[in-house]
This record gives sequence, C-alpha cells and structure tokens, in this order.
Amino acid sequence: MAGRQGAQRPNGATQGKICQFKLVLLGESAVGKSSLVLRFVKGQFHEYQESTIGAAFLTQTVCLDDTTVKFEIWDTAGQERYHSLAPMYYRGAQAAIVVFDITNQDTFARAKGWVKELQRQASPNIVIALAGNKADLAQKRMVEYEEAQAYAEENSLLFIETSAKTAMNVNEIFLAIAKKLPKNEGGGPTQSRQSGVKLNNEQTQQSEGGCCK
Amino acid sequence: MTELGKADFGLTTFFAKSHPNDKCGANGLPLTPNSIKVLGRFQRLKAVSHPNLCNYLDVARGKHERLMVVAEHYRHCLRSTAKSGKYTNEELFIELAFGIVSGLAHLDRIGITHRNLSQSNILLDHQGKVKLSEYGMYYMTEDGTSVAFPIGNHKYLAPEALGLGPAVIEDHTDSDATLTVPCGPKTDVWSIGLILMEILSIPYKNGFRLFSADGRCKDLELPVFGENGYSKEYLESDHLSLRSMEEVYYLWRLAGGDLVGALKKEGLTKSKPPIHLLPYYSTNEGEVFGQTRDRAELLDSTVVILSQEQLRQRLSEIDETAYYPLLEDEQSQVTSSLPTSPSSNDLSETANLPLVIREKDIEYQFHRIILYERLLKGYPYTRGHIWKEARVDIPPLVRAHVWGALLEIEGDIYARYDEIDKETPTQTDRQIEVDIPRCHQYHELLSSPAAHGKFKRVLKAWVVSHPQYVYWQGLDSLCAPFLALNFNNEALAYSCLSAFIPKYLHKFFLKDNSAVIQGKLFRLQEYLPVFSHLITFHDPELGNHLDGIGFIPDLYAIPWFLTMYAHVFPLHKIVHLWDTLLLGNSSFPLCIGVAILSQLRSQLLSFGFNECILLFSDMPEIDIQRCVQDSIKIFCNTPKSATYRQHARPPKKAKKEESRPNISYYSRDYNEQPSSELSMEPIPVEELKTEKCPRISAEDLIELGELSGPSHTKSPTKRKQNSKPMLLVIDVRNQEDFAKGSIPNSINIPFPTAFSPEGDLNPCSAVTSLNLHKVQVKVVVGSRGRNATNFAIELVRLGYQKVCVLHKGIDVLRSTNILTVPPVDL
Ligand SMILES: Nc1nc2c(ncn2[C@@H]2O[C@H](COP(=O)(O)OP(=O)(O)OP(=O)(O)O)[C@@H](O)[C@H]2O)c(=O)[nH]1
Ligand SMILES: [Mg+2]
Repeated sequence: MAGRQGAQRPNGATQGKICQFKLVLLGESAVGKSSLVLRFVKGQFHEYQESTIGAAFLTQTVCLDDTTVKFEIWDTAGQERYHSLAPMYYRGAQAAIVVFDITNQDTFARAKGWVKELQRQASPNIVIALAGNKADLAQKRMVEYEEAQAYAEENSLLFIETSAKTAMNVNEIFLAIAKKLPKNEGGGPTQSRQSGVKLNNEQTQQSEGGCCK
Repeated sequence: MTELGKADFGLTTFFAKSHPNDKCGANGLPLTPNSIKVLGRFQRLKAVSHPNLCNYLDVARGKHERLMVVAEHYRHCLRSTAKSGKYTNEELFIELAFGIVSGLAHLDRIGITHRNLSQSNILLDHQGKVKLSEYGMYYMTEDGTSVAFPIGNHKYLAPEALGLGPAVIEDHTDSDATLTVPCGPKTDVWSIGLILMEILSIPYKNGFRLFSADGRCKDLELPVFGENGYSKEYLESDHLSLRSMEEVYYLWRLAGGDLVGALKKEGLTKSKPPIHLLPYYSTNEGEVFGQTRDRAELLDSTVVILSQEQLRQRLSEIDETAYYPLLEDEQSQVTSSLPTSPSSNDLSETANLPLVIREKDIEYQFHRIILYERLLKGYPYTRGHIWKEARVDIPPLVRAHVWGALLEIEGDIYARYDEIDKETPTQTDRQIEVDIPRCHQYHELLSSPAAHGKFKRVLKAWVVSHPQYVYWQGLDSLCAPFLALNFNNEALAYSCLSAFIPKYLHKFFLKDNSAVIQGKLFRLQEYLPVFSHLITFHDPELGNHLDGIGFIPDLYAIPWFLTMYAHVFPLHKIVHLWDTLLLGNSSFPLCIGVAILSQLRSQLLSFGFNECILLFSDMPEIDIQRCVQDSIKIFCNTPKSATYRQHARPPKKAKKEESRPNISYYSRDYNEQPSSELSMEPIPVEELKTEKCPRISAEDLIELGELSGPSHTKSPTKRKQNSKPMLLVIDVRNQEDFAKGSIPNSINIPFPTAFSPEGDLNPCSAVTSLNLHKVQVKVVVGSRGRNATNFAIELVRLGYQKVCVLHKGIDVLRSTNILTVPPVDL
C-alpha cells in the first residue's frame, strides 16, 4: 500500500517562476500531521510514525503550470504542552494546514482553536487549509463532512478530507494551497534564503504575504 | 534466580496464528502480529520461579510467525518414569502428587492456568523432583487465542474445556474478541486427577498393577532420591552449574548457541521451496485462496535439548577462582576489575576493544557478569565500586540492575510503586495512549500489547506521583529504555525514570502555568543558549557557520535534550549512550550534543540552512561509541562553570558522597557544590542569548590557572608537575588599569585598540603570545561593561577556540590576594 502513489516531483528545470513558501502544520496530537507530510514529501506511510517533539522540517516542490512552488514545511508537535512553541513556527508562514482526525470530535474542536489563533496572530494573508484526516476510517467517523465543510466556508478556509494512509487527497491539498497562494510578483529564480526562522520576540516582517522572489 | 544445576535447556517451537493480509485494526492500522503478542506475554513467564516449575528462559521469533521457546528441561518425564512402575511405591507416589500440586498451586497464586497438563510435560529432575513444563503455553497464547491449534492433551482436559471446543475461531469478523471463556484452575484439578488415576491404574509394560503385591522389588534398581541423583561433590567441581540459569543461557548464546540452527538440525523446520507457499488464487484486494497451512505443522511437541558442550568447551580454560573473584583485599582496597592472572590472561586488553566486540566476547562477558553480579549483591555498600566498573563498561545482562545502582535506587521500590494509583482515568490518558503505539515500535518487545499496558502504567504512575509535573510528549521516549530493560519489573523501571528525570531534566516537565512563555519552553530557554556557547567554545568555525545560517539549536535540539536522545536514536544505541550519560552530571548531555555535531561537522559546514535542517529531520547515522568518547573529551575540556545553568538541580544532601569515593569532580553537579562569591551565579536568559561564549567563574579560573588563592577549591585535581598551564588570561582593560594590578601571567590587549578597521587583531607581543596558545582555554577578563564580552565575540569570529569570559570581571578577584603588579613589559 505504502508508496504506491509517489508525490509530485519537480519535472526538470522548466523555464518559469520559482516560488518559495513557508507552510506550517498545526493540529492536535496524533491526528496525522507528520504522516501527511511524509506522504507528501516521500510518498510513504509509517504506521508507527513517531510523535513529533518540538518540530520537524521538510521541503517539497510541486509544479503548477509554469510555476515551481517550493514548500518549506514545518511540522509541529500537537500536544497542548508544546503550544507555546507554535508561534515560532507559524510566524511568517504563508500557508497553514490545520489537521483534525475525522474519527475524533475533540480534535475538530482543537482545529477550530488553531484557526482562530492563526486568524488573530499569523500573517493576515495566510492561506489556511483544513484537513479532515484519516478519511479511510469512514466507518468510525465522528465529524460529519458537512459540519466541517460549513465551518470552513464560514471562515473561508480550504477544506479537504484526506488520508495519509491511502494517500487520498494528500497531494491535492498541497496543490490547492499552491494554487491559492499569490504568485503575482513576477518570475525569476529564488534567492537563497537569508536565514532560518527568526526566533526573537519581535514580529518579523521579512516575508509578510510574500512569495516569489 | 535458579541455579543451573543439572538442567538442560529445552527448545520447543510452534506457530502463532497469522492474520489475513487484508485485515486492519479498528484504527485502520495493521494488526499486531500474534507472535509479537506472545512475545510480550511470555516475558512474565520468565519471572515465574518455583521449585516445581521449569523456568522459562527465552522466546524468539522466526520466519512466518514461528516462535521458539527455551526453557529449563529434564530428560525424564512422568510418562517414561511411570512405566517402570516407580510410583507403585506409595511414598514416592505421594511425593509425586505433592510436587505436581505444589507447582500448580503456585501458578494459581500468580493467576496462571496450566491447562496443558499431561504425562509428558511433568518432568522429573535428577533427584526425581517434579518439574512442570509447558505450563505457560495457555498463558502466553492468551488462552490459546494467538494460535490456530488446540492447547492441551484432550485425554486430560476437563469437560468444560473440551465443551468450548478449540479456542480458534477462524474469525473473519471485525471483532478481535474471541468468545472463549478462559479456563480457570479447576481445569487443572481435573487433569491432575486423571493423570494420577492413570498412573495408579494403567497396567505397566511388564504387566503388574499397583495394587498387586508382586513385582515391587523391581523398583530397586531405579534411581532413588539421594542415591545417584544429586551429588554434592559433583556439583562442587562444576562451577557453571551453580550459576543462574539465565546467566548460563546468556553465555550459551554468546558461545554460538543458535535456536534456528538447533531446530534445523533436528529437522523441525521443514523448509518448503517458496513456490509451494504461493496461493493458488488471489484477488485484487489481496484475498488469497488455496494455501491453507497444515494444522499438524503448527505445533511440534518435540523438545530439542540444546547442547551445552560448546559453552563448556569455551569456558573450560577458565580457572575456577574466576568464579569467585576477590572484590577487596586485606586493606579493604577495591581490587582491580579485570583478572590479570595467566589463566585468564589479557582481558584488560579486551577491555580496549570496541564495545560491540566486548559484548560478544564470551570470556570477557563471563568475567564481567560474575564481577557485577557479586557487586550488585553488595549494593548499596558497593556503590563506589560499581561506579568504577561502569566506567569500563556494563554487560547487557546486568545493565538493568547496574543502571538502578547508578541512579541510586534504594528502599522498598515495590511497595512504593504498588501504592500509586495507575488505573483511575486522568486527563493525560489520551496523550499517553496515542504516544505509546508510536514509541520505539520497531522493537519487538515494546510493540507488544503487554508492553503497551506496562508502558501506560509506568507513565501514569510517574504523572500521578509527581503532581508538580505534567506529561510531556517525549516522556514516553525517556521511559522506553527503562521499560525495555526492566520489562518484568515495572517498579524498577518506574524508580529509574523517577530518579533520572530530576538528575538530567530538572523541572523540564513542570506545569507551565503561564501557558505561553513567548516562544519557548521555559527550561529550554536557558539550556539552549548554553548549548550554543558550548558549540562555539569547542568549535568556533562550526558555531560561526551555524549561527550565520540561522541554524540554531531551537530548531533541532529540542527533542535531543527533552528526551536525552531517547527520541532520536534506536534503543540499542541509547543504552550505550546512557551507560555513559548516567556517569556524568546534568551538563554531560550538552557535551553529547556537541559530539554529535562534530561527527557531522564536514557536512554541516558545507550545508546551508535547509540542508542542515533536513539532515536532522531524520537523525543521520551516528557512531555511538565515538560519540561517547568525544563527549567525554569535550566534558573534560570544559571548565565546569561554563555549563552552569541556574535551573540545574539544586544541592542535594551530601550524604552519599562517601559511598562514591571514585567519582571525579566532573560527574558531580556544579550546583551540588558549596558556592561562594567566586562561584557562578544566575544570569538572565536574555543576557545569555546576547553572548556567544560561556562564562567562567573566578573559582574555575583560580583552579585551572593554578593561581594561589583561597584554599577551598572544589576539585581534588592533581596536575602533573611542569605541565603547561591550562589557560591563558587575556586582560582587555587599558594599560594603566592593567599595570595597577592584574592576574599573574596574563596578557594585556586593551579592547579599544585591539582590532584593525578590517577586524583583525593588531599585531603586538601580546597577540603573538595569544597565537602561541591556540589550544588553551582563553579567559577574557575585563572590568564592568561589555568590553570583555565583545572582545570574546571578536575572538570567536576570528576562529579562536575555547574562549570564555570571566564572570563579573576583574573586580571579583579584588577580595583575593591573587592580583599582582605585572613586570614591566620590555
Ligand atoms: N488510519 C489512518 N491512520 C493514520 C492516518 N494518518 C496518520 N495515521 C496514524 O495516526 C497516528 C498518528 O499520526 P502522526 O502523523 O504521528 O500524528 P501527528 O499529528 O504528527 O502527531 P504529533 O506528532 O503527536 O503531533 C499514527 O499511528 C499514524 O500511523 C490516516 O490517514 N489513516
Ligand atoms: Mg507529528
């Protein structure tokens, strides 16, 4: 089952713009954030995916028409105890995927909390997607599709149900985000990034709403 | 621990029921293989010990859900012995019955039902004493549900057991629960009755019956208790037989003992060519037809006796005194750890070989195990000696207890653990439950349901018994090594975890009441900058590079420190790392971090931010032994105040010092020692973060610089005569101040004129002298203000290593009589 559907890879050096975006995954512990990233980046699924402590970082590139979109993905730890670390990761992010587990209502409530926090504290132009993960467990569903859909519409979020296990909609959600991100500032190759995440307490202005360089 | 005596090791094999390929658990994830379930349940059997029960020693998984069980074994069983009519003797018969009942009564006490009793698994040892075997089959297979064959000899099974039919239900339903009602001890009572009846009533081969008077004298030639069974003299010359069964079995494996090989030799693994195993028909969904396994193959009742020949051969050269090593000589001096007598020659040479080789060297392990086993018997009195030996290495067989000793576990840990409520649901349960099935699950033992249960209990016990702390993700990883080592001893696993956390992660798991402390975990706020300083101190080039690309420890090192590397390495590496970690103080983990970076140095130096961070998103292969050695080096080359953290554990009552005579001053925690105005003191985190170098206390300066001063030094270091000084003091005050009084042998490079506009050091004699001291610790000394700090930052930028700043500057030394007027420079 694992790895049958590999993730999209950059298909050679196409003449086009290259955009670089910072994307963060948020959501209650064990909803499958790391699994989604692993599926997207390496086309794999580990049943015994280790829990995330602090955060993990990966990158993946997708091609969209003539644009190459490079995601810098920050996968965070879900436990409430690590909440205080989250701002360090979502600060300056252009996109966020807030994940919940469709078989667990509490994780949906927690997802709403994250959305609220992002709307208040993250960059104003941030693209937020809501992922109802573990869609393969539909027989144990506790969060109705319509319920999540309605919530997403109210808050103008992208909403897709995914399964990291079967790979359903995993590439799709990242592509949908890539489509929605502004790529207006013209093409050109990326500059090498200047530094990692800024960790000081002041809000960094560097890449507010930014994208293509 | 039961002595080996004359027991054999018996090997049996069977297959666990395999799951259909397409089946998933309720969480959508693959089902735990039944062999893993059995493996987990089996562990408890290893702890069963009773004179009438055979000890279980080991279980191993083979291909295709095969399980191999090793247990104490005897060549005589009731079936063979009874044929001779031995039990026509009423006394012997009663003795036999009593033996069986005693064994079963013990099983009943610990809640295990035999349900597999038959004449062939009631074994008799050399004295004719009853030794029940195979009593764990029903238990380890979870009342037979993990196997696809019936357990128990139908001849002796109780009606209620037979009435249930075989426990196997070919369940293609989704529910895992089999509807079997487990059998209780009464089933066993029925079986004893039948077996004893049979012995009393069944005609023997030679045709006489018990209650007939004739032929009794035929017993006479049979072995009778005390005659040619047990012989004290024999045992006395066979020292190995006095060692514990577990130990001998461990050595047996080291001597090349191989379970699969033994089965093959006996023809018990019939390997079919794989093509014969293919199903005849398979659907797209993965359902297969046409290859059902022959049930008769699933269980083989043969017991293969594992020959001890090879082991005894390997140990035959060992002098018998080696079985009884001398721990202390007349002066009650701790004697050297490794035998140097000609018989057991050059083991001290073996001690220098790589750890993995030492662990496979049977002779070496033999000596080490015996030594440790004796030391552990004397614990806590022998604590100092154990510490000393642990610096050499720790044999895997005794690691669990040695760790307990190093963590200074004492007292009635069982009562304490029993008292803790591990059952009542709490808020933390969900997190614990989702973490456990993700924690070190490649490990056979830890992935079993039995392990999950224990895991949960130990973690809950810790959370409940430490109300000031909370469960953090990562605590599961910390617990895993202790649980894996003490699988049958939750209380010790719990005690070790409880002792480990305050030692290395003091207050890390504190309830974080002010929910968001901007951007950081509270304790790590101090820990991580100190780590940065340490990197820079030892490897400024790397430190500069990582700083320059923004690859700061916050991004990669949180799981390192929060779990003491238990989240980032596999268990077999963690144990080796922790073998040493446990000997160091709470600053040692920082040194491990530097050692890891230095192992990856060339890659890191050539990498940019993204590559660096990707490198650590999956911990790269690290040579642990090298890492351990490097850490020790780094540790010894770091002034102790340089890793000072105000949040490290506060001083403990010094009661235990005297029993750890051999601990170097490095293994003691800085905070555990008396402090004075010359010591380190808390530095605000914000200030720490603006600095690049560690600070050194005046005390350390005096100590390492061998400056005469107050006599209350903390370390009993004996420095070699006429060795080079350990450090160079760089005074950055202006010449006037310097001339009025300065530290002997210090050089003066006034900060304002030190650097050229290009940022290089302006050449002068002091700079020449600085360049001659590349490897020494460089202590930058200023007065008030930031000159010293800034100077140090510049030195680091220029690539000078081991730069640190004197905490509180020159003024701190005014109260001492160290400062002198320097000789006029020519
Ligand atoms: N059935 C099913 N299981 C999934 C799916 N995605 C993840 N899982 C499982 O859910 C568990 C948790 O997944 P993780 O990816 O570790 O969850 P996480 O959100 O990263 O958790 P934290 O790191 O603790 O925040 C793992 O056992 C996964 O195998 C899915 O789509 N379907
Ligand atoms: Mg995760």
